[in-house]
Amino acid sequence: MSLLEIVAAGIAIAGGVIFVAGIVAILIALQRRPYGVEMAPIKGSPGRGVFWSFTLGMAPWAKASARLHWMAYLRGVILHLSIFAGAAYLIATPWLGVMPGPLRLSLTVLFAIGAVMGLAGFGIRLANPTMRLLSVPDDYFALALVTLFLASGAMSAYSVAYLPFFWVVAGITLAYAPFGKLKHFLYFFYARIFLGLVFGRKNVLE
Amino acid sequence: METITVEEQNKTALAREMMEKLVDRRVLTALEVCVRCGTCAESCHYYQSDPKTEHTPYYRAEQVRRVYRQFMDPVGQAFPGWFGAKPTTDEALSRLAEIAFSSCTLCHRCTFECPFGVETAEIMRVMRSVATACGYGPEMLVEIANAAIAKEENADLFRDIFLDQVKELEKEVQDKLGSSEARIPVNQKGARLLYVPLAGAHTIVPQAIIFNIARESWTLSMFDTANYAVFLGDITKAKRIAQRIIKEAEALEVQEVIITECGHGYTAMRWDAPKWFGHPLPFKVRNIIEVIDDYIRDGVLPVNPATNGEPVTYHDSCNLGRKGGLLEEPRRVLRAVVGDFREMTPNRLHSYCCGGGSGLVAVPEWKDIRMQAGKLKADQIRQTGAKTVVTSCDNCRFQIGELSQYYDLGVEVTSVSELTAKALV
Repeated sequence: MSLLEIVAAGIAIAGGVIFVAGIVAILIALQRRPYGVEMAPIKGSPGRGVFWSFTLGMAPWAKASARLHWMAYLRGVILHLSIFAGAAYLIATPWLGVMPGPLRLSLTVLFAIGAVMGLAGFGIRLANPTMRLLSVPDDYFALALVTLFLASGAMSAYSVAYLPFFWVVAGITLAYAPFGKLKHFLYFFYARIFLGLVFGRKNVLE
Repeated sequence: METITVEEQNKTALAREMMEKLVDRRVLTALEVCVRCGTCAESCHYYQSDPKTEHTPYYRAEQVRRVYRQFMDPVGQAFPGWFGAKPTTDEALSRLAEIAFSSCTLCHRCTFECPFGVETAEIMRVMRSVATACGYGPEMLVEIANAAIAKEENADLFRDIFLDQVKELEKEVQDKLGSSEARIPVNQKGARLLYVPLAGAHTIVPQAIIFNIARESWTLSMFDTANYAVFLGDITKAKRIAQRIIKEAEALEVQEVIITECGHGYTAMRWDAPKWFGHPLPFKVRNIIEVIDDYIRDGVLPVNPATNGEPVTYHDSCNLGRKGGLLEEPRRVLRAVVGDFREMTPNRLHSYCCGGGSGLVAVPEWKDIRMQAGKLKADQIRQTGAKTVVTSCDNCRFQIGELSQYYDLGVEVTSVSELTAKALV
């Protein structure tokens, strides 16, 4: 390993440590908040509600908003899938040298498309007057980070020479994630679970 | 330099204290999960009727979120400009109160259209509580809630007037049924059901006819089911209002409390009250629609749908339907008691609010806002071609009645109970 690679790997690992510590801190803070236990007799099934929440409740055909904003919805799906793939890829990068060529090429394409979707996010945010009004620096910075994360991921999957660059970007992204809007990835699961539990017990989910 | 008065400092401190107390896991999640993607905009009836920034759910939630960042989020406090934390002034609190009370009916529709399921209504509910605690609760709502508490405190004063009124209504029921045996029992210890009406004969007479025909063991509550403290987010008062009915039900040793067709009243007693008191209630809580549905399915009520031959549509009260769990029951009853039932689109879980929910109908100065926000519902009603709109909530009933006049819909607004009583043979 070259000195550059060692430093870059160190940044990535440090970012990972901050990320894990930050997530633990978020979880502790969340658990410390009160949670009003439901006492009323249930009418439906909270468990089925949670299942609905992560399946049919997220289906694009179940939401008029997804049909209306289908481009934004599709962009979001592609962006998030490529980010999740990017996270898995980050863990696998120490073995990049033995990764099959077709897989690396596929990842290059996926991350490149994801990065384009990230760039498109700037356009959408700036073009919509309400979104522009409500956006704060954190919104743009978080978007820039994930776009760069995917772009550098695409570059490193294409050529090992760019791997240190990807590690540095990944380290910064991971370190920032628990503090800014990127932490929504964690709250997403809570939000969907609460939705399923609350409305599932009332038997209103279709 | 802007001067901050002591009163302003006190209010800000109180707002902070209230927010700290009320932001639970569910609300914290709603505050943190939103990415401001904007896909919720069209899900809101305010936005659909008047598409502007202030009418988007994420705009409203964001105003509260910025206060949360200042009050409770250490990262927001450290870097306010970066994360959008906002200093909370008297003026800002007043503005937030206005948003929470008049620009959102807490209908929860946007939650189901959001990819994350952000519960903006829960954020607004907390904001209403904070605003009420700081003295920004709408005067009319505060007065109605206080009047409900005063009624219990002075129950002896009201009792005789109430009993006289019930006697008059009982005569009406006897005339309609052609039987001097028909009764509206009050204070009937050991009755199976305690029926809790609203102010107004339309929530007593048809139900009394139904109970008499079904030969039900029932008794009429002295109190009404409305609980306006719920709209204020004032749980202390909401508990006192609910407690009146609980105490009455316990004293009469009833098995069930039956709530009339009142969206928030039902949700408060069925779903919220056990959580407020920290234990299940010592009786079952049902809505009158569920009782009627059971009577019809058991063959206890002989109904003829031809009696209600004109086209009828049903408006889902957000509290009773999406938030209360009664989506199919009113439809089953209506299919049994009307000849031509037509659905609005969308309906059930995705039904739009009428624009008068969560206390808006009670504040006269918000009429213009209500009429504007209700435009979408008026359009939906018109599209069905129905002559009668049924709704299971008195606030929706009032709002749709006014929408009918305002948008010249020419529809009659009624309840499931009334149509059922009309269909009895």
